[in-house]
Amino acid sequence: MLLELREASVAYNMVRALHRVSMTVPPGGIVTIIGANGAGKTTALRAISGLARLAEGEIVFAGDRIDGLAPDRIAARGVGHVPEGRRVFADLTVEENLRTGAFLRRDVDQVRRDLEDVYGRFPRLAERRRQYARTLSGGEQQMLAIGRALMLRPRLLLLDEPSMGLAPVVVEEIARIVREISGTGVPIVLVEQNAEMALELADYAYVLETGSVTLQGNAEELHGNEHIRRAYLGG
Amino acid sequence: MTELLLQTVVNATYAASYLALVAVGLVLIFGVMGIINFAHGEFYMLGAYCVVAVYADLALPFLLSVAVGLVFVSLVGMAAERALFRPMRENPLGGLVVSIGLLLILQSLATLGFGVRMEHIPPPSQTVVQLAEGVGIPLQRLVVILAAVALLGALWLFLRRTRWGWALRASAQDPEAAALQGISMAVASRIAFAIGAALAGVAGALTAPLVRTYPYMGHSVIVAAFIVIIVGGIGSLEGAVLAAIAYAFAHTFVTTFVDGVIADIVGLLLMLAVLIVKPTGLFGSRDRA
Repeated sequence: MLLELREASVAYNMVRALHRVSMTVPPGGIVTIIGANGAGKTTALRAISGLARLAEGEIVFAGDRIDGLAPDRIAARGVGHVPEGRRVFADLTVEENLRTGAFLRRDVDQVRRDLEDVYGRFPRLAERRRQYARTLSGGEQQMLAIGRALMLRPRLLLLDEPSMGLAPVVVEEIARIVREISGTGVPIVLVEQNAEMALELADYAYVLETGSVTLQGNAEELHGNEHIRRAYLGG
Repeated sequence: MTELLLQTVVNATYAASYLALVAVGLVLIFGVMGIINFAHGEFYMLGAYCVVAVYADLALPFLLSVAVGLVFVSLVGMAAERALFRPMRENPLGGLVVSIGLLLILQSLATLGFGVRMEHIPPPSQTVVQLAEGVGIPLQRLVVILAAVALLGALWLFLRRTRWGWALRASAQDPEAAALQGISMAVASRIAFAIGAALAGVAGALTAPLVRTYPYMGHSVIVAAFIVIIVGGIGSLEGAVLAAIAYAFAHTFVTTFVDGVIADIVGLLLMLAVLIVKPTGLFGSRDRA
């Protein structure tokens, strides 16, 4: 397994946000975490990338424990994290944002080629490469946030609510992009409130409810699950 | 009358120079660490005392004492970051308390070392550069202006052209998102403190022969610097420089043509006006404060 959470718990101000969660992510494909607002989905990703500290349990990435490492050290190991709300650097240009994603890399020529790859994947970013990120639409900012994470050459990509606040057409486009990235061999952990989209894209799914995993299984099976249909798929 | 106007412009440019140096450092530290460093005026004071110790007491060259001020205050800044401010990250109130504690400690140390009386520093140069008929600037002040332009220019290049400069700008906008790109928050904080303290130290060192040097001299500059960063927009380096110029011109002109107390009031009114019209400051985009 590429990534493993073992009985991981996180508490914010004494309130438990994640309770003894165990998950595994294989070295390929898409694993999704679905659940309601406040169920702990974002906390799970923040724990993986080191933004949230574990109260107990451990996180193992590529054979090494990474819980307790600073976020920049975890990024250095190849964990790319597209945070909730995109969090692009508003006062940096599109290109500066992308180059920030390559901060740790010293292979200058390959970085330049990867930059062109990202522009090839997101033509709208190429048109706006000299614009400040603040001037982009929500969808473009999401693409920029994903592109920035790709510039790290991630061995694992964490996507937090990429569909949030976007028009349905744009959501479809993002879904297509996620599938494409997964197709290039990058394993993805996708956190979504849009369970329909998430279960369509993913191979395996975890359901979080108030900080605990209540259900897990193949995405297809979960899509047919009665409880999931009622609670998350609006039918 | 023209001469007086021109002379006032020259004086205002001088005031803007050292104010910008202090304010930019304050903005840099706030941006990266989220901490309002109340002890920043004391970094300025320490720079001035480096000149007292090295130039006035040891009689070494003035420019050497300025270099000592830059390096020494920068080291003090880095030490303060490591020991006091880094543990207070994500705790603005704690950072505030720590910075006020540091302010008192640095003032007390300066008093212990040098006493409370004002230091007399012999002017390194008495030369007055004549810019026009009846308009002159003491060389000492001209040096401050040139140094400020050179240092702020170097900072600008560093922030725009180097890898860590980029990282610092990203950290100032969103420290967490920057950390996710592999940018170490600890290193970014250390660099921000090193640069911010160094700029304040240089400002203090260069102006030491021109102002009254005493342990509480930081107060005079920190109030103006706070007004400047609020007017410029907290978090905006360009805003801080432009606001420093605006503030220094308003303050110097009112001081010259009306009086000093009214000038202080005008400075505060300027801040009030900006807060009413654009609460994020003239160049601020963020509402984080």
